[in-house]
Amino acid sequence: MSFDFNTAAVTAMACWAAGTLFHALSRKTAALKLPGTAISLAGSAVILVFIAVYWTALDRPPLRTLGETRLWYAALIPLVGFLVEYRWKIDWLKYYCMGLAAFFLGINLRIPDVFDKTLMPALQSPWFIPHVVVYLVGYVLLAASSVTALHNVTLRLRSKDNAAGKTVAHYLAILGFVLLTFGLIFGALWAKEAWGHYWTWDPKETWALLSWLAYLGYLHAFRHRIDSDKLQWYLALSFLVLLVCWFGVNYLPSASNSVHSYTQG
Amino acid sequence: MEAVPRQWFQSPWNFREAIIFTVLALLAGFVLQYAVSGAGIVIPEWPFNVMLLALFAAVVFGLGIAFRKNPALSWFGDIPLGLCLILALAALSLIGGIVPQDPSAQQSMLTRLRLNQIFSGWPFAVIIILFLANLGLALVWKLIPFSMKNLQFILFHAGFWIALSCGIFGSSDLQRLVIFIEEGKANHLGYRMDSDTPVSLPFSVFLHDFSLEEYSPQLFLYDPSSDRLIMDRSQAVLDMRKGTSASWKGVDVLVLEYLPSALPGHDGTPLPADRSKGIPFAKVRITIHGKQQETWISTGSPFLRPDDAQLGSLYLVMVPGTPKLFRSAVTLQDNTGRTEMANLQVNKPVGFGGWKLYQMGYDEKNGRWSRLSIIEAIRDPWLPAVYVGFFMLMAGNILFFWNGIKRTEVTS
Repeated sequence: MSFDFNTAAVTAMACWAAGTLFHALSRKTAALKLPGTAISLAGSAVILVFIAVYWTALDRPPLRTLGETRLWYAALIPLVGFLVEYRWKIDWLKYYCMGLAAFFLGINLRIPDVFDKTLMPALQSPWFIPHVVVYLVGYVLLAASSVTALHNVTLRLRSKDNAAGKTVAHYLAILGFVLLTFGLIFGALWAKEAWGHYWTWDPKETWALLSWLAYLGYLHAFRHRIDSDKLQWYLALSFLVLLVCWFGVNYLPSASNSVHSYTQG
Repeated sequence: MEAVPRQWFQSPWNFREAIIFTVLALLAGFVLQYAVSGAGIVIPEWPFNVMLLALFAAVVFGLGIAFRKNPALSWFGDIPLGLCLILALAALSLIGGIVPQDPSAQQSMLTRLRLNQIFSGWPFAVIIILFLANLGLALVWKLIPFSMKNLQFILFHAGFWIALSCGIFGSSDLQRLVIFIEEGKANHLGYRMDSDTPVSLPFSVFLHDFSLEEYSPQLFLYDPSSDRLIMDRSQAVLDMRKGTSASWKGVDVLVLEYLPSALPGHDGTPLPADRSKGIPFAKVRITIHGKQQETWISTGSPFLRPDDAQLGSLYLVMVPGTPKLFRSAVTLQDNTGRTEMANLQVNKPVGFGGWKLYQMGYDEKNGRWSRLSIIEAIRDPWLPAVYVGFFMLMAGNILFFWNGIKRTEVTS
């Protein structure tokens, strides 16, 4: 490949670091804010360009392996941070988002993915892209929600209240939940076409249901007006379930027969 | 006036009672499971399951309408209990997501509590029934009197109720049969996954042809001492053609010639051959520390030994590519003589007389030369009901998204 992953990853991380620095300094020199935003967004743009190049080279969407999904994640989550800033004037979320994105690129730098063009017959389906993309964006939003909730928890521990932050965590959780629901149902409809049944309690399905139930629980707790400080803890921790569902399932004893492991040992 | 803390079980009931109730229900489920020595639940088949479900729905909805003001029933259909049951379902799913779900696990405390098949055991059944009752009550109270502003709630909750109840009550009518067919033969017998007794299908399947396409073969270094295939330095899956190169530590390989389908000629040099018989051959130049050698290597087949190149203690091997596509050309014929030609392929099932046929597998030892096709025939009469539930859920979900976006003003 002409445009290799290491260059793209290091460039993007440098952009985010510089953007963070500019933004931090912009508290004193307001003129630095715009270039800071531009540089940070350029970081995501670099990864998006890399994804495009990679997609062309692979001849298939890079959505098959976990390493490939981490690429999308790294490109998209800083964008959510900036969207929240633009929409709700909340300026701290983007730092966490860029940190998370850099962390995911870091994993890919440590464990390089195999450049594998093959797509097994079960994945050759019109459902492939909608199922994975909906989940991916859902995870991105819920990660942002969880980070927001964690921030609210730390503020609370320092006895500060943050009503606006709580609202943001809530709406991100709603949007994330909506996408999880679509992801789950798209997955079921696809499973019927590919494997003959819409639900077979495959470990990944079970964990996807578990994640969905966790957020379903959150929505009901919110509706019942449970103490909003407790709910910040709930939201912050729910993401752990999602992380297990996303990356952890392959390492669990139950995963030996999963139809969802696409990386050959 | 000083607020007096509410006593346990003092009306109106709330979370504490819901938690106790849910924990007791779970315990009862496990005690029952232990008492029946880990036996699973057998859901009655058609038409008894539909009668049972209709009765259950009638009781829940009837009670909901008749005793709407009853405080105990209000509590039973309210969020605190619903939330506790959601978390109980999550807890059971957690067990099912960690403990391998293996019906053939060795007898132990684990199997006695049916943790190895948690989703067909009593604790799960108890929680599901309570959950459906709770959800059903909440639904009927929002449904009557009907109001458009409850539409999102109704679609989401009714969709979930229908999909869940029909999926579970209908599972006993689901038939999944595996059919083995050889090229040029017909078969009308299928096997259930868990039994050796064949079941006669209401139609027969004749296999004209099974075909399989593979991705490009791959070059690896094979280490016999560790029985490991070593990928080349680029960590890339290769496209085999003239000019393809691969390298390992101290070893460089260049493909001089590539024949995707060939057979060895009289003097051993491969000659292009028909796809049905030939195998991939590659002429490679191997450079080890400046020393060069040229040789032919091949993937081999069930009928031909593979050719590899020995490099000290390692071997350069060409491994057949992974399957890209496999397909069975079949003719289906039912008892009335109606016939239909079809191509079965993964992700492209074909419907016939209320059944759906899936390309499932083939004789993997023979790979591309398999003359055997494995097909799965599935009949699920409850599928339309479950799908109605799914589509209602999705419609509710779209409204939820829409309303969520509309109300996103933050009060700072």
